Amino acid sequence: MKRILALLLATGLVLSGCGKSDTSSTASTPAAAPTTAAPSAGARKLVIGLLPKAKGNGYFVSCAKGAQEAADALGDTLIFDGPTNDDAGKQNEIVDNWINSGVDVIAVSAENKDGLSTALRQAEAKGIKVISFDADVQPDARTFFVNQATPQGIGYKLMDEAARLCGNSGEFAIITATLTADNQNEWKKYIDEDLAKNYPNMKLVDFRPCDDDTAKAQAVATTLMSAHPDLKLIMAISSKAVPGAAEAVKQAGKIGQVHVIGLGLPSENKDYVHAGVTDSVILWKTEELGALTVQVADALAKGTLKPGDKSFTVGDKTYTIDGDNVLLGEPFVFNKDNIDQFNF
Amino acid sequence: MSASTHQSGGAKAVFRSHEFILFVVLVAEWIFFYFAGTSKNYSGATVGFGTLDAQFDIMRHSCEIGLLALVMTPVILTGGIDLSVGSVLGFSAIVFGKLWRDGHLPIDIAMLGALATGALAGGLNASLITWLRLPPLIVTLGTYSLFRGLAEAVAHDGDTFTNFPASFINLGNERWLGVPEQLPILAVVAIAVWLLVHRTTFGRSFRAIGFAPEGARYAGLPVERRLALAYVLAGTVAALAGIIYTARLGQAKADDGTGYELFAITAVVLGGTSIFGGTGSVHGTLLGVAAVAVLTDGLSLAHWPREAGGVLTGLLLILTLTASVLPKMLSNRRSHRQTGPSTPQPSPPSP
Repeated sequence: MKRILALLLATGLVLSGCGKSDTSSTASTPAAAPTTAAPSAGARKLVIGLLPKAKGNGYFVSCAKGAQEAADALGDTLIFDGPTNDDAGKQNEIVDNWINSGVDVIAVSAENKDGLSTALRQAEAKGIKVISFDADVQPDARTFFVNQATPQGIGYKLMDEAARLCGNSGEFAIITATLTADNQNEWKKYIDEDLAKNYPNMKLVDFRPCDDDTAKAQAVATTLMSAHPDLKLIMAISSKAVPGAAEAVKQAGKIGQVHVIGLGLPSENKDYVHAGVTDSVILWKTEELGALTVQVADALAKGTLKPGDKSFTVGDKTYTIDGDNVLLGEPFVFNKDNIDQFNF
Repeated sequence: MSASTHQSGGAKAVFRSHEFILFVVLVAEWIFFYFAGTSKNYSGATVGFGTLDAQFDIMRHSCEIGLLALVMTPVILTGGIDLSVGSVLGFSAIVFGKLWRDGHLPIDIAMLGALATGALAGGLNASLITWLRLPPLIVTLGTYSLFRGLAEAVAHDGDTFTNFPASFINLGNERWLGVPEQLPILAVVAIAVWLLVHRTTFGRSFRAIGFAPEGARYAGLPVERRLALAYVLAGTVAALAGIIYTARLGQAKADDGTGYELFAITAVVLGGTSIFGGTGSVHGTLLGVAAVAVLTDGLSLAHWPREAGGVLTGLLLILTLTASVLPKMLSNRRSHRQTGPSTPQPSPPSP
């Protein structure tokens, strides 16, 4: 009996030891959530839960970095947690746990719009403020959506950048994700609109899918260049397609002759941008997105931001609110002058 | 308790049983998170792990895996395995959504349709295993892909089923007589499977098949029919889990339940059931489910990173199994040492 008890005690100790060493080790990782100590009686610290689609994703890690800085500045406690696998139920479970552990505001980027809304409505019913960022939920399940970029903003920015590089005339082609992808088709609509309205001498000669696959994008880009010898620019509107198109141009020895632009992460395109293959990638500043999300969450909980407001001011920056969408603003152009400042 | 407990008898054997060790580990976990995961909020109210709401949510979150693990137990007792339960969960959920939304059937009928789908899926596994005598690992590895593929085909282009009526969503989210609505369902299935495995001849034949299938056949047991029962039960209850999962999320999607088969198998093995079949218990499985669930949600409620969950679940499994076999190993070694030397040892002086 004694031996078994000793073993059990040892097991318990090891288990609790694991728990403890875990908390200390997370302190060094920037993305990890700070442990929330019991709030001291006097100081009322807001607790904000930030839920990404996937925790390890570089895009969200970068959002979290900006969010943490904003939370520190405001004196709020930020909890950053999200699924580590693709289990659709995990986001709901995290929201349930946040409801139970008494967070004040929950900010989510939804992997499953409808599924997550079910849990968020429960949070709202318990008096917790809910906002979304990056990927929206059902409008009745949150107060505000922090919108990183409107389809119009993205479409026009891409087309304007393409026209600038081509000197407002010439042939260009688009590589998209899939022909049925909602986001991409929405962007394409505004690319077409800008093209028809402002650039009569530019000509879109092809629109091809790459199935979100870099290798396939490379093959598609190679085909495009041989099918259209006068091609001046390839616009890749799937983040996987940008490095693929750049590699194809590089291997064809057409650097400078065929320009590459697209919507992608700076880190994945840095080398091509410096080599002069890719001229620019367009995206929003993810850290600013994370920071704005926390600022909106904070203001909503403190009552300084209310539904129906038309704008939201932080320091010397003012963000437009369109309905219940807080707009981050114009997409950002990453090129060889600034791309090294960003590591997502 | 397990069969071996009955044979050796006495309280000592109970304390040595794997289930008891796991129970103590669970209590230790619970106490640990009670202190680490509970706090007071600004208005002085208790929040976190120590609240009834949190305890009920832990049960809600583990209900689907609990159901899968319960019916995985008889399957593993027969020396088999069912890797397809997660896919059956997803496929049944999609069939349920399709029947309700596109077939315009009432929710209850759509549920029956989903359960029938699960039973048929289990029946396919059972047929391939018993008629063709293929190894369950290979058969269910095949149907694991097959059922997931069927789910994706029915919900083509990433179609999801949503906007279910509130009465159905409540099944996954609201209380009934003070407890989460899905909890009575889990309890009924748990009691039914426990009785099946521990109080009927079916249970004894599952173990007999697990120990020696040929022996069981020579002893006149209807091996094929018993195996079929285990796999059809697994498929049907996986469909039930799919319905509850859909109610909890308010959405049916083709990738529902991905990877759940491994969580279920982990819980069963943690609960002391031998992966080679023959020995194990249903209450052990329930303890296994609880030990993993408390760990996962406890970490989250204490605001610790969930990445630690995987590592700690692994450690939990290894440590609990070690704690369970170590005393036996030590006593074996001692008896070996006592009987080992060629010269018989003098009997110890009596005190």
